[in-house]
Amino acid sequence: MKLTLAIHEVSDAKLGSGTTLDGGVLTVDADELREAILEDRRIESVDIEVANPGQPCRIGVVFDILEPRAKEPGTGSDFPGLLGPMAMAGQGTTHVLRGTALTVVDAQQEPGIASKMMEMHGEAAVNSPYGNLHHVVVVPHMIPGTPRHVELNALRLASARATVFLGSAGVGQEADSTEEFELDGPSTNREDVPRIAYIGQIHGHQMVVEEDERILYGSNTEGMVPVTLHPNEWMDGAVVCSYWVMRVETYFYQNHPIIRELYRRHEVGEINFVGTVATVAASLEADRNRNCLLAAHQAKWNLNADGVVLTKYGGGAPHVDMGETARICEALGMKTVVQVSDSSGDRRAESAMLFNYPEVDAIVYGGGGDIAWDVEPVERVIAGSPAVAQALAQMTQIPAQALCGVTNQQGASVVRAVVY
Amino acid sequence: MKVVHYLNQFFGGLGAEEQAGIGPEIRGEAVGPGRLLEQVLGDGSTVVKTIICGDNYAAENLESVMETVVNEVRDSGAELFVAGPCFVAGRYGVAAGALCAAVQAELGIPVVTGMGVENPGVDLYRQELYIVDSGENVAEMRDVLTKMAAIAKVTASGEDVGRPAEWGYIPRGIMKDEIVEESAAVRLANMIVAKTQGQPYETELTQTGFEPIPAPPAVTDLSNATVAIVTDGGLVPAGNPDNMPAIASTIWGSYDIATVDNLEGEDYEVYHRGYDNRHVLNDPDRLVPVDVLKELEKAGEVGKVYEQFLSMTGLANPLANSRRIGQEIAENLKSAGVDAVILTST
Repeated sequence: MKLTLAIHEVSDAKLGSGTTLDGGVLTVDADELREAILEDRRIESVDIEVANPGQPCRIGVVFDILEPRAKEPGTGSDFPGLLGPMAMAGQGTTHVLRGTALTVVDAQQEPGIASKMMEMHGEAAVNSPYGNLHHVVVVPHMIPGTPRHVELNALRLASARATVFLGSAGVGQEADSTEEFELDGPSTNREDVPRIAYIGQIHGHQMVVEEDERILYGSNTEGMVPVTLHPNEWMDGAVVCSYWVMRVETYFYQNHPIIRELYRRHEVGEINFVGTVATVAASLEADRNRNCLLAAHQAKWNLNADGVVLTKYGGGAPHVDMGETARICEALGMKTVVQVSDSSGDRRAESAMLFNYPEVDAIVYGGGGDIAWDVEPVERVIAGSPAVAQALAQMTQIPAQALCGVTNQQGASVVRAVVY
Repeated sequence: MKVVHYLNQFFGGLGAEEQAGIGPEIRGEAVGPGRLLEQVLGDGSTVVKTIICGDNYAAENLESVMETVVNEVRDSGAELFVAGPCFVAGRYGVAAGALCAAVQAELGIPVVTGMGVENPGVDLYRQELYIVDSGENVAEMRDVLTKMAAIAKVTASGEDVGRPAEWGYIPRGIMKDEIVEESAAVRLANMIVAKTQGQPYETELTQTGFEPIPAPPAVTDLSNATVAIVTDGGLVPAGNPDNMPAIASTIWGSYDIATVDNLEGEDYEVYHRGYDNRHVLNDPDRLVPVDVLKELEKAGEVGKVYEQFLSMTGLANPLANSRRIGQEIAENLKSAGVDAVILTST
């Protein structure tokens, strides 16, 4: 299976008349984009702005960040099962507006420590992987009285629509470069290099799963058992974030750092990247045991892996599912490495782990608990309500965990906690 | 720098095990390894006092030895307190750790010691102290003292000591954030390639070893036992009278169920951000099973259901806090005559 990304490098973005990509400059016609989003009649109005790197501007509360992309017509479906018709993601050609982001603001969220924001200038921005992108920011406002889960569903659809709308500016344009992702999967035979698989959680059921929540090919993951996915499917619209997010954005499914890194090592002949498994962290014990077992079994019996990289979703409890899956992998003879996010409230190593298996002894440990950047008040804020705008404008410090991307759980983070 | 040095009877030159019962003796100069310590510290550093004490004496009279040592260090005007190194001598390590901790707490001057990782003093004091990893080979004395001197000097200057592997001390378990060159994805890939190929790899976190907690003996006669329910699922009466926080509570609450046979959702709330608590809000008995226990009480299978249930919020709770809360709850229930506890978690 082969995915070709047609990369259009974008060096500037602005609002203007007609949506075009010309000489690396993305011009967004706010009326056209608004019309596309307002196809969803649950949305009453949309604010649309552009935030460029280096300009004093703060954005919040962020619902999701995506990379503007669109399929080359005739080669596949955009966000199949969510926006476009059901089809296999991960093949054909996808146009990518590299250097840009579509950032969707959730107007109903209150600012708080767990909320997500963007800072577009200064040291904080430099430390976010989203800080150097040109952000097209959309703030949908719902018809009053819309139930919360319906609002969230509308935000999810709006994010997909707007992403494809912007990405379409690249269709028909000559790409600056192309990236090709091609893997034959578990049937690939290579002597003397390890067969490596990735098991990634795409949701944590510690939080409520809404019936209309679209995550994997449009399914809400309720009752889901682990499934084998081709690595390209993650990167081409099969998977998006859940409504409740913690340190994940759809942008880093589209540009999955772990999948890209395993691809790179496959291409240089260092490993045999045999595939991926998507799973969910459970809420009930029976579901947990079943999912952990089946995820490990797929890595073993479908992919015949020698080694597995595991990541978790959400907060504390999903660590347990990841640890248990890794334990079963080790028991099946596969080596494991896990990524743990910081949950040591007292910054003590003894409080850092939610599982304790001697064989799960290769741990990448994320940090973020004691980094914060001092910031000046800003005049320009893109927010969903006056209360949030005021709170953001007056911030004097941004904790690492509040800034999108800094403590990312999909492999993008460069913050680690070191044990002293 | 004025230094006070603590040694056991062996390194202090008083004798081997037969002298382990000897009480503290004070010398006004460096003794044994202390002379080497002066050399490696350099800069005109002087051991102004050496305190020598037998291992058994120190183990059996730790409080009084601590008092003696703190007083001697204070009186000498020392700017540094060094104990050992103790290698894998267990009683020596435990005493050295206790003395360093006491001097650090009472006088606030830099302290340093050295032990092998198997020394029982390590687990007791690693979080509080810089303990240089001495290994078990006494022939490494100069190398170990050199590392101890380096840590002593940098601590005395008020600067931060670097990473454990670079400075040779046993990790204290304190997490500090760093911004690094390689993304987590690259570090994950590096580690899985190394691990699958049998090459060395360095985990970013070593799991803390915990003492296994033996299962208590079974309750032999439940029909005469008082049974309590304790939960970390954050269930509190409506209105949250104790202001239970929704994450990492430092308090626990005790709530009356003496006259209740069945918990009703409208009477309770959940303060816990870590789990899908719809089922509990719908029927709190599914977290705190009062309904079933009261039935068993009526049927005579359970002697008595304790008249309170105890609740706290476990989410992301630091271990030190959990330990304290656990001890408080256990003492509370023990003194109330509770024989058995059902713990429910989420």
